[in-house]
Amino acid sequence: MSFDQSAAGDVNPLADPEDRPAPPAVFVIFGASGDLTSRKLMPAIERLAVRRLLPPGFAVVGVARTEMTDDDFRERMQELVEKGGGGGPEVRHVWESFVGAFRYVAGDYDSADTFDRLKKVLDELDRERGTAENRLYYLATPPSTFPTVIKGLNEHGLSRPTSEQAFARIVIEKPYGHDLQSALELDRIVHEAFDERQVYRIDHYLGKETVQNVLALRFANAIFEPVWNRRYVDHLQITVAESLGVEHRGSFYEQAGALRDIVQNHVMQVLSMTLMEPPVTFDADGIRDEKVKALKAVEVLTPEKVKSQVVRAQYARGWVGGEEVLGYREEEGVSPHSTTETYVAMKLKVDNWRWAGVPVYVRTGKRLPKRVTEVAMQFHRVPHLPFHLKQVEDLEPDALVLRIQPDEGITLRFGAKVPGQAFRVRSVSMDFFYGAAFMEETPDAYERLLLDALMGDATLFIRSDEVQRAWHIVDPLLQSWENDDVALAKYEAGTWGPTEADELMEADGRRWRRP
Amino acid sequence: MSTSPPSVQFDTIGSWEADNVSAGQVERALSDLRGHEERAAVRTSVLTLVIVVGSKEEADEQLDVVRHLGARHPSRTLVLVLEDEGQGESHLDASVAVCVVDRGGRQVAVEEVVIDVRGQARFHLDSLVLPFTLPDLPVAVWLPTRILDRGDPLLEAANRVVVDTRVVGYKPDALSRLSSISHRVAVTDLSWWRLKPWRNLLAGLFEGHLYRPFLRDVHHLEVTGHAGPRHLFAGWVMSRLDLPRSVVHLGDAEHLSAKLVATDEGRRGRFEVERKGDERVIDASVEIDDGPSFQQKVHIGEAWQSRALADALAHMGHNQTYEAALEAALGLLR
Repeated sequence: MSFDQSAAGDVNPLADPEDRPAPPAVFVIFGASGDLTSRKLMPAIERLAVRRLLPPGFAVVGVARTEMTDDDFRERMQELVEKGGGGGPEVRHVWESFVGAFRYVAGDYDSADTFDRLKKVLDELDRERGTAENRLYYLATPPSTFPTVIKGLNEHGLSRPTSEQAFARIVIEKPYGHDLQSALELDRIVHEAFDERQVYRIDHYLGKETVQNVLALRFANAIFEPVWNRRYVDHLQITVAESLGVEHRGSFYEQAGALRDIVQNHVMQVLSMTLMEPPVTFDADGIRDEKVKALKAVEVLTPEKVKSQVVRAQYARGWVGGEEVLGYREEEGVSPHSTTETYVAMKLKVDNWRWAGVPVYVRTGKRLPKRVTEVAMQFHRVPHLPFHLKQVEDLEPDALVLRIQPDEGITLRFGAKVPGQAFRVRSVSMDFFYGAAFMEETPDAYERLLLDALMGDATLFIRSDEVQRAWHIVDPLLQSWENDDVALAKYEAGTWGPTEADELMEADGRRWRRP
Repeated sequence: MSTSPPSVQFDTIGSWEADNVSAGQVERALSDLRGHEERAAVRTSVLTLVIVVGSKEEADEQLDVVRHLGARHPSRTLVLVLEDEGQGESHLDASVAVCVVDRGGRQVAVEEVVIDVRGQARFHLDSLVLPFTLPDLPVAVWLPTRILDRGDPLLEAANRVVVDTRVVGYKPDALSRLSSISHRVAVTDLSWWRLKPWRNLLAGLFEGHLYRPFLRDVHHLEVTGHAGPRHLFAGWVMSRLDLPRSVVHLGDAEHLSAKLVATDEGRRGRFEVERKGDERVIDASVEIDDGPSFQQKVHIGEAWQSRALADALAHMGHNQTYEAALEAALGLLR
């Protein structure tokens, strides 16, 4: 894994390389009174502290509009951690010594006074807590405020490291823009204040152990890579299914839809890791260079192809897990005439030597029968089956399935003889459950990614050109839909999607897997 | 020292025992038990664990530790009980059990074989271990209260030897024998893993460009604690920082603490990790002349034997940092 300039200095001879302790730093959260801070950031910080991965010279500064004192902020963070099951009596001392270094700055993001006070607090922490002038800013605010906060940091000299040894990094949450144009514009604003190497665009999917395991599986084993190409693979299916609806995020989801919420980021990340060539080095640029190359090879659909190769749909009332659920247009915060898609299925072509002629079918949706994320690689049938048709009627093509969530693992489907006097071949599955072989407690995605950002390791963060390539692929779909070129299909909640999606596969003589 | 964490659901689903048996009979019994019990067929073992103990009571105690380990490192466990001095003809009494450990709804089958070894067979333990090793998986030999000699044939069968200098460290030749074994086979020391919070914390005090330079000029290192662990800890700091023996001071204490005094650009810095009482909390502190001064408290978790063993078994190769620490610790005893 690579580090940026500031972290690449001399090595601590006492540190165990496997432990990856973070350097001293101030973690500055914009949006400190918000949902992301409570649900993800603070529990991750608490776990890192309890696991002794944060140094004594570590402090947290919350910035938000809500009026609060330092003590109010500490108390609130304590409550959050306790609510999340952390901060028990056995770690009381740890937490008490830890929150002593928590500070809070209340103010508007467009007010110079807010940043003046922030600067003062940061200087104080450097002097008192030994935070070594290192800063990790986290934008946990609504995307509309990103430019204002970045501008404020820039104008107050907070976006640049104060010395060659110090660092200033910024973590930016998704969505990164709402289309290609807005992503480019956001990039322009970000790069006025920060160099690209200071920027950590986060997609928590990349922090999941099993997503990283796709890389381990592909590049640490000799047996998979030789069949990972057009010669053996008939097609790929990527499924990101959720059984939940929009819950209380109706008004947010109305603006996003499945394409922006899932396809542009999570799906593109999983897709690029599946398609990429082996990296020369396992570091940030080594991996991200190959991911970008893979995304560049993915066909950008013309308006005609959007019509024939993409299905968008919305869920109607139905039953999920024995419970009757509302249709999308009946959900709180959703317009009764909404045309926002909750389901997308698409067929993509990959124009490179490895994957030419291998279609990639992607589907994602809400209110599907279960929550599952998987990449399934279906292999060609054997060129000649030396059996009577009756003997192999239960035989499916071989398949390798990477299950990302839940029940993380790998399934290999192949044919085996059915025991008995007759000779019949049937498909069987060989399952590997990640959790059964490794019962280690795995870090939560945010915990992993926050530590990476503190360490200056950008491997699992998204580079500017990756975001742009993903928008290049997704943008034509958005444009066609805006022009109303593609009909909005319906599917009953609790089913695997609309019939139009099945027809997309059937037209190629294939069918969706049932995960 | 507490040996086991609470509550692991553990069911024995099949067992067998007999006196005066051969290793082949024990193997067949194990195979039969697995064959007749559907739940036992699903095995996800990651190693064969051999434990060498001196009595049946000790065998029970260590099996209890291993059962708590089952959920993290599912294994076949072979306990060799050496109660006599190895006089007379070889004689084996054995018991076999197939058990299911439940953790979070996931069931894992583990196997336990206990062999009471008497007579000459105790000098050929490798011949008892090899028939029971699981294919292609590493063999860890755990010696809870003893250290083998470098020439012991049991080392032939081991990929890793697990010892505990907290238990054997008071013996005059313990560290030198351990060092000698470590040249032949990878050694894991449970004390080394128990010292990890102290090691992490001390290392953490030197993260960042303000503190790292102090490591270039350390002129005082004081480590107090039990014989064995304190030597190992001091040896670790010495070997990592290339410190001379003359700056190291050792003392006896119930809990381990370490204080390091260093200088950078004329400023003196005191870096300390200290466990003051029985509460499982360590204070880590930094005091720099005309500079930052702060303290952090860290919880170190219960010192369960199974947890230390689980940590130790997660690393199967040679640990060069440990081996260098051990060599330096030996230097402190000379």
